[in-house]
Amino acid sequence: MPSGVTVRQAGPEDEVAGVRPRWVALPETTEEVAAIMTAAAEHDLAVVPVGGGSKLHWGSPPERCDVLLDTCCLNQVLEHAEGDLVVRAQAGVTMEALARTLAARGQELALDVPVEGATVGGTLATALPGPRSFRYGGARDLLIGITVVLADGTVAHSGGKVVKNVAGYDLGKLFTGSYGTLGVIAEATFRLHPLASERRWIQAHLPVRHADESTTPGTGPGPVQGYASPSARGGPPQRKATLATVLATSQAEPTAVEVNRGGDDAACELAVLVEGSAAESRAEAVAALMPGATVGAEPPSWWGALPDGDVLMELRFPPSRGEVVLEAVHGLGATVRGSLASGVLWLALSPSESSPERSSESSGRSSESSEKLGSEKLGSEELGREELGREELGSEGLGSQGLAGLVAGLRARLAEVGGRVSVLASPYAEGLDRWGEISALPLMRRVKERFDPGRRMSPGRYVGGI
Amino acid sequence: MLAELIGRLGEVLEPEAVITDPVRLRTYECDGLTYHRATPGVAVLPENAEQVAGVIRLCNEYGVPFVARGSGTGLSGGALPRTDGVLIVTSKMRAIVEIDLPNRRAVVEPGVTNLAITEAVRDQGYYYAPDPSSQQVCSIGGNVAENSGGAHCLKYGFTVNHVEACEIVTPDGDIVTLDRADPGYDLLGAFIGSEGTLGVTTKVTVRLSRTPEAVTTVLAAFENIEQGGEAVSAIIAAGILPAAIEMMDALAIAAAEAAVACRYPENAGAVLIVELDGPSAEVERQFALLSQICSKAFELRVAEDPAERAAIWRGRKSAFAAVGRISPAYIVQDGVVPRTSLPEVLAGIDSLSREHGIKVANVFHAGDGNLHPLVLFDDTEPGAGERAEIVSGRILDLCIEHGGSITGEHGVGVDKARYMPRMFTDADLDTMQLVRCAFDPRGLSNPGKIFPTPRLCGEVPGVRKGVHPLVESGKAEQF
Amino acid sequence: MDPELIKDCVHCGFCLPSCPTYVLWGEEMDSPRGRIHLMSQHVEGTPITPEMAGHFDACLGCMACVTACPSGVQYDRLIEQTRAEVEREHVREPRERAVRGLVFGLFPYPRRLRALRPTLGLARRLQPLLERAHPSLGAMIALAPVPGRRQRLPGRVRAVGERRAVVGMLTGCVQNEFFPQVNAATARVLAMEGCEVVIPPHQGCCGALSVHSGRDDQARRFAKRTIRTFERAGVDTVVVNAAGCGSSMKEYAELLADSPEWAGRARALRTVDLAEWLAELGPVAERHPLPVTVAYHDACHLAHAQGIRAQPRELLRGVPGLSLRDIPESDLCCGSAGTYNIFEPSAARDLGDRKAERVRSTGAQLLVSANPGCTMQIAAAMRRAGGEIRVAHTAEILDASLRGVSPSFLDAAGGKPRS
Repeated sequence: MPSGVTVRQAGPEDEVAGVRPRWVALPETTEEVAAIMTAAAEHDLAVVPVGGGSKLHWGSPPERCDVLLDTCCLNQVLEHAEGDLVVRAQAGVTMEALARTLAARGQELALDVPVEGATVGGTLATALPGPRSFRYGGARDLLIGITVVLADGTVAHSGGKVVKNVAGYDLGKLFTGSYGTLGVIAEATFRLHPLASERRWIQAHLPVRHADESTTPGTGPGPVQGYASPSARGGPPQRKATLATVLATSQAEPTAVEVNRGGDDAACELAVLVEGSAAESRAEAVAALMPGATVGAEPPSWWGALPDGDVLMELRFPPSRGEVVLEAVHGLGATVRGSLASGVLWLALSPSESSPERSSESSGRSSESSEKLGSEKLGSEELGREELGREELGSEGLGSQGLAGLVAGLRARLAEVGGRVSVLASPYAEGLDRWGEISALPLMRRVKERFDPGRRMSPGRYVGGI
Repeated sequence: MLAELIGRLGEVLEPEAVITDPVRLRTYECDGLTYHRATPGVAVLPENAEQVAGVIRLCNEYGVPFVARGSGTGLSGGALPRTDGVLIVTSKMRAIVEIDLPNRRAVVEPGVTNLAITEAVRDQGYYYAPDPSSQQVCSIGGNVAENSGGAHCLKYGFTVNHVEACEIVTPDGDIVTLDRADPGYDLLGAFIGSEGTLGVTTKVTVRLSRTPEAVTTVLAAFENIEQGGEAVSAIIAAGILPAAIEMMDALAIAAAEAAVACRYPENAGAVLIVELDGPSAEVERQFALLSQICSKAFELRVAEDPAERAAIWRGRKSAFAAVGRISPAYIVQDGVVPRTSLPEVLAGIDSLSREHGIKVANVFHAGDGNLHPLVLFDDTEPGAGERAEIVSGRILDLCIEHGGSITGEHGVGVDKARYMPRMFTDADLDTMQLVRCAFDPRGLSNPGKIFPTPRLCGEVPGVRKGVHPLVESGKAEQF
Repeated sequence: MDPELIKDCVHCGFCLPSCPTYVLWGEEMDSPRGRIHLMSQHVEGTPITPEMAGHFDACLGCMACVTACPSGVQYDRLIEQTRAEVEREHVREPRERAVRGLVFGLFPYPRRLRALRPTLGLARRLQPLLERAHPSLGAMIALAPVPGRRQRLPGRVRAVGERRAVVGMLTGCVQNEFFPQVNAATARVLAMEGCEVVIPPHQGCCGALSVHSGRDDQARRFAKRTIRTFERAGVDTVVVNAAGCGSSMKEYAELLADSPEWAGRARALRTVDLAEWLAELGPVAERHPLPVTVAYHDACHLAHAQGIRAQPRELLRGVPGLSLRDIPESDLCCGSAGTYNIFEPSAARDLGDRKAERVRSTGAQLLVSANPGCTMQIAAAMRRAGGEIRVAHTAEILDASLRGVSPSFLDAAGGKPRS
């Protein structure tokens, strides 16, 4: 290791998805990051960058991991150009610290962080969409400049500190959501927004029909009755709008439309955020669209947080099919949370907490008995037909095979509505396809090969083992 | 090579879709930037992705470069053809494939014009947000290549923020979908704005936005540009995010007046156009605030219906072409500076203008610091063109010095490739080159754009060399 | 071709979506920008090749690009100069020459047209045969309307009520022979609105067809004759009800620029379109209700060449009970464009079909326009598609409303007869 950079021996708490690195490096500057990477290149050491460590157990375990590059000491907010609504920060700055700095000047980075303790770098590398990404876009949409260190120690910049800029390739987009497999994010520059003067949350229960209420087998639930789509007049016949669609396209311009269901038996809670000036009157306009809605200045307790569970999945789908998706995952005993407006739901499963009657079932049931279970327990022909490997859930600890089957089933079901399923975190890896098919995977492999020919950056962590 | 390839284009395309007649080919010699011209070796007008892929596979077979072209309105020579290559014109691929309002998206072919999307959904209360000034003619495929913005991108962002997916033909000839919802690298984000160097777009899924409930357009006239600039800063400081903040100086106002009689207030040293949009209640509050902020304006006009709004915008939108009426020739520059540096940079442009005896009219997206200085000269006067070039280039240097960019929306193309090393280090450019090499190892897709004399994909990064020996010996081509 | 005019084009491409042939084919060479580029190639020394001539011929001369151009390129003048150059330099194929000779020897001559009238019935029956033998001739016949009953117009029509103005009236060639009822309606409307109308007999062609086809010498001859005719009639304002004629007459001074004397005489004569004139004059006569839905079609030579869009709509809206519908894509040419549907039958047909579809989408009972060519073209396209729409000139609508009669063009349209 290069001199001057703090390095310590790794301990059990430093494991990356179960793989223990040999050392932990603690650089304080971009130059130190480069020095570490150069040294790692010389000695063919595999490096996994880490920020707050909040998502270190996500993804597949690395093929190998010699150095954990901890960005915790890259913790400076380098420049806050207030008048330009721009901030430049080192990768290790926590999102909380950044928010505090910006809030002192009446500004914010309009990026929700669903995990506590997350850093700028980690937030970029995993690119989770928060509630307000519906209005502001995700990390990639707010990032305007980036400094990265490649596997060979090269320090590269792209973008800059102006919002409008089309000079050169946007490496920031490429690194956002790359799970540390292309290089180390050292610095990032974001566009900011004025801190909203007011915020209102409108809450109600989503009048979604559950599977067992479904009257027409083989079809999803019908559209919510009584909501006229803004697209209803003129034009060719359109699919009728769901409540989520109506909210998303409301001219009161909500910032987020979120849903939460704490379990199969829990009610489906809907919360809509309106922010900016005149939030109160706009919130009333939104509330008028939601039967039984209340308006308040505080978010629901679950707002913007990832649901708890050993297994965490991300479901993406066309927003108009949100209710079909909610129905499809009903009966899994999962906490479901996410944005109906953007078509993103998180699904958290904790097998140990699943209902006792199902845990008595044994795993590896034949398809016939699954069918039986489906119709008996769920009373739904549709879901019985789909199955989703639901029976595996109740087994003595959810086995790898069980999860793999469940994911495959869910994936097939979502594919029908143009959606997809990714497994963000799972303690079970065997036979599990975490990401599903990706049209551009061959291109992604080629990008990986160019950026990291020695496969030393978080090797094997991400899609297709890149 | 090219001749052989042309002979085989019939395997992929109808005969009418292949243009070889030299007179006809020459009409494709340049895009919106006429300074750079090259007659393409052959031009093809495919009608679907399979045909595009077929042509590109032939290009691969013969090692022939290709360039994609939409409506040919680019201002950086991004669609400048290759005399030794194929020009793939997407203007026949202009079907709106699907409009899906419940999911607020539309699927269109690349030749569809930007405005056509909005026109297709306007009656239903939707629109497509990015609005480059050429929106009535520029194609979505071109918008994707250039990551086009527009006057309203201050609030709504650029093409990259409004595209959900692209079907592309890779430089190998494979048809691949880049989808924002897919896990993995954000290749869509990297592809958008890559100026045709990573492949050709054959289908675009765009996000549609709901028409805002209220729109208020304000024209504020100031005695001088400094007062206008102060107002811009004050608007931002007040926490208002208008849809657009545009500024024009006296010379630009005079040009617009000559062209379209826009009737902006007389004797204005600068006018500011501010457009507020959103929920009515919010727009009302912001307007009240804005009126206070613009207290130094000697005239404040408010448009509340589409006709009045159009009247205010007419002057601004005509500004580029209008300058042709007050000057025989001109260069449209495109640079960006941090908003707070605007006063300093404008002063710098002014002294450059005096120093070289070259007039500069300023039209700019003040909200995001995107300058469009119009460098005016008389092309019949000896040396004037050269002096204008110098002023134009020095303006870019000013932008870079202030931490800005050499292009906010026109792209690098062939025109600004030489400025890239002033903004980026060799390491930056080499790293970008890695992306290029991943997509296009043979360098066949729109070579010669964006990057100044890039090295070959097989080369190890290091000290930049002269002509590569492989190129010299004809065994490889540089891109 | 004037190099200075060519230089005005900055290659921005704003004209592309306005150009009918670009809309059809999406090819640069068949856009105004592309054609200007071809012109510059020619100016730089490239001879006119058959390909080049083909792209110039394919231009409809609709002038939508002139409206769209932000740089003020005078494409109208450029294409006229170019057409003249093509006629001078380019040797056409014999077959093409024959058709052109036929058209230019026929249409501008009212007497020859009149002689043709009795043969139309036969020709119509032979149309399928002709279509196969020669598409241009087929197109000519398919377009020809059933001529209205000939009406002889008096030389002078007195103003009804107080005389507010004295105006001359152009009767036109095609208008006069195939749509005589439009001329009659025009004269009546003008009179009812307080104009004394002078209608010189034996007016002949104004030269529009010739100038739009590059036959400059013929055009100048016709222009001078027309000027002389109205000078002798003692009027200084000429009202024109055919868009193509009006736009050409407004450009007499440029056409005759070589002769300062004639240019001066041309400038002394004011040409106005009927709608433009009536809007300027302001209504005095009472309008009676006309319960009908109308789709108003912008003739290119009215909307683009003369910038007259609002006035006809305003006049139509002034008719009680009349519901006016806008036709989508109203800026796009219907493909008639003077003689275009005869020389470029396939493109004209495609554009006609496109326009017919848009007209149909309005659900209107009646199609109104100010150009006989457009009316013939769109009606023919509607017939091809198996539909039928009644057509009328703005003048006929006003005439019916002013006189309070049930117009004949509504009878067959299923429009409710007035009580």
